[in-house]
Amino acid sequence: MLKKYKKDIAGWMIMLPALLLFTFFIWEPLLASVVMSFFSAKGIRLEKFVGFQNYIEVLQHPDFKAAFSNTFVYTFWSLVIGFLVPIFLAIIINEIIHLKGFFRISVYLPNVIPGLAVAIMWTFIYRAGKTGLLNIILGNLGVPPQAWLTKAHLVIPLIVMFMTWRSAGATTLIYLAGLQGIDPELYEAAAIDGAGLWARLRYITVPQIYNLARTLLILQIISVFQVLYEPLILTNGGPNNASTSLMLLVYKYAFEKFDYSKAAAVSVIIAIILILLTALYNKLVKENEM
Amino acid sequence: MINFFKKNYGIIRTFDFKRHYVKAIYFLLVLIALLAALIAIFPIIWTILSGFKTLSEFVNEPRLLPESYDIGKFIKTWNLLGFGRFYVNSLIVVVGSVIFSILCNGLLGYSLSKVKPKGYKLIYSLILWSLMIPSTTSIVPLFLNIVNLGLQGSFIPLWISAGANAFFVILYKNFFDSIPQSIVEAARIDGCSEWSIFFKIIFPLSYSINAVVAIFTVTAAWSDFLLPYLLLNNTGKETVMVRLFQFRTSIATDVDIIRAVTFSIIPPIILFAFFQRYMMEGIAKGGIKG
Repeated sequence: MLKKYKKDIAGWMIMLPALLLFTFFIWEPLLASVVMSFFSAKGIRLEKFVGFQNYIEVLQHPDFKAAFSNTFVYTFWSLVIGFLVPIFLAIIINEIIHLKGFFRISVYLPNVIPGLAVAIMWTFIYRAGKTGLLNIILGNLGVPPQAWLTKAHLVIPLIVMFMTWRSAGATTLIYLAGLQGIDPELYEAAAIDGAGLWARLRYITVPQIYNLARTLLILQIISVFQVLYEPLILTNGGPNNASTSLMLLVYKYAFEKFDYSKAAAVSVIIAIILILLTALYNKLVKENEM
Repeated sequence: MINFFKKNYGIIRTFDFKRHYVKAIYFLLVLIALLAALIAIFPIIWTILSGFKTLSEFVNEPRLLPESYDIGKFIKTWNLLGFGRFYVNSLIVVVGSVIFSILCNGLLGYSLSKVKPKGYKLIYSLILWSLMIPSTTSIVPLFLNIVNLGLQGSFIPLWISAGANAFFVILYKNFFDSIPQSIVEAARIDGCSEWSIFFKIIFPLSYSINAVVAIFTVTAAWSDFLLPYLLLNNTGKETVMVRLFQFRTSIATDVDIIRAVTFSIIPPIILFAFFQRYMMEGIAKGGIKG
């Protein structure tokens, strides 16, 4: 009788250390933050059940409206800039015969640098006045120095540009792996049939990486929804909330106002959005596999 | 004679190069790739070289490069900030994290792939969902968990947190799936326990995946700052990233900050120089993003 379950017991014993850690670091805190969002709290002590009060107060606060709509602006710009750049880069690098290794390594290099260090680097690049890197370069072209990060309509695209600089290389490598998986005979057959370069790109390359692109698109939206330290370091959400994000709102509630219940309420709202996006992602992945 | 344009993959093929306009397109692509490489690399080089500027040079003069290269400036900042201590602390965090990351995630991946005890599917789908939940959303309850165990001001939570990484579990599971089940079955018939199968048979076969996980754990542990900041700030155990994050609220000159950024990015770049093959393969296979 015991022998029958021996394998199951051994299997669970092996999983146990990691499962304890997953519970402690991920699963329990997630549930705890749901519970917390329904209570009023004094510091870290929960006081009494308040129903949806925290949610109502959070949703009615003007900061939330700014953060919520900004998150969509972040997503929009990251699709315009961040989504297409890696696709173009991968297709170009895949076509190049010479210095291929150099190109792959150099576009990936920014990804190696810690995110916090990158954010500080870019505060110096976008720095107002004539000594910021961007202003130095534009100054040589005769453009007067700009105070880049104080322009409300520019601040999000600028932050997205720096996020793209950091992460495009990794995505490019994923696309490159996808491009290398395309059967070379498809192109040969098309060429024999007289298809030009544009037709080969349009009717072979694009359809072949379409599914991959769709998956990476959702993953990118999910990660952009969590943008936190970029605006935290570069602008602290400014000017006048123009670059604040939902995660930054959580950070400010938790670690600047020490209002943990409201921080938890915003976290739960983000988690619900992410769960919806994840469900969509899983649905797409399943379709891909079929 | 070696054909300069031999290419039997991708859109453009050897025979296409007979046409002049194809050659022109090709050189255009190389040019774009060079530009992309320049954009990727230049900000990093500029940051490192800017550390050689004096404060007044950095703040007042719109010049790209410093006037003189005196390594003494870096040594002065290193001593002023006492950076050696932060390197040692980061090293302690990194080493502990790698051990827990490989052992816990590896064992969980092994059980999910090769032992499959009753109920493993539930665990697997929980792990898949955990991928999408940002750790930052539940950082407050997590912090309270750690405080309740009296572990603030200690490296232990940072070490063991590396043992709960959904990405690595899935990487391990996929890797173990490619090892034939017959090897495991044979060992079971010989009377090996699951623990000894993992450590004596599977582990030695897993050199490449262990290397990938170890390298990504090193980069992640080196780059992490939010939890380390909450746990280690003002305890004398600050890591390099915690020190960088402190610049948000503490007073320091711009040149000291930019030199500190250089200190923080040099180790990951060196790591990349040695292990770039593993890192770039890991990205392409696992779709991990930094």
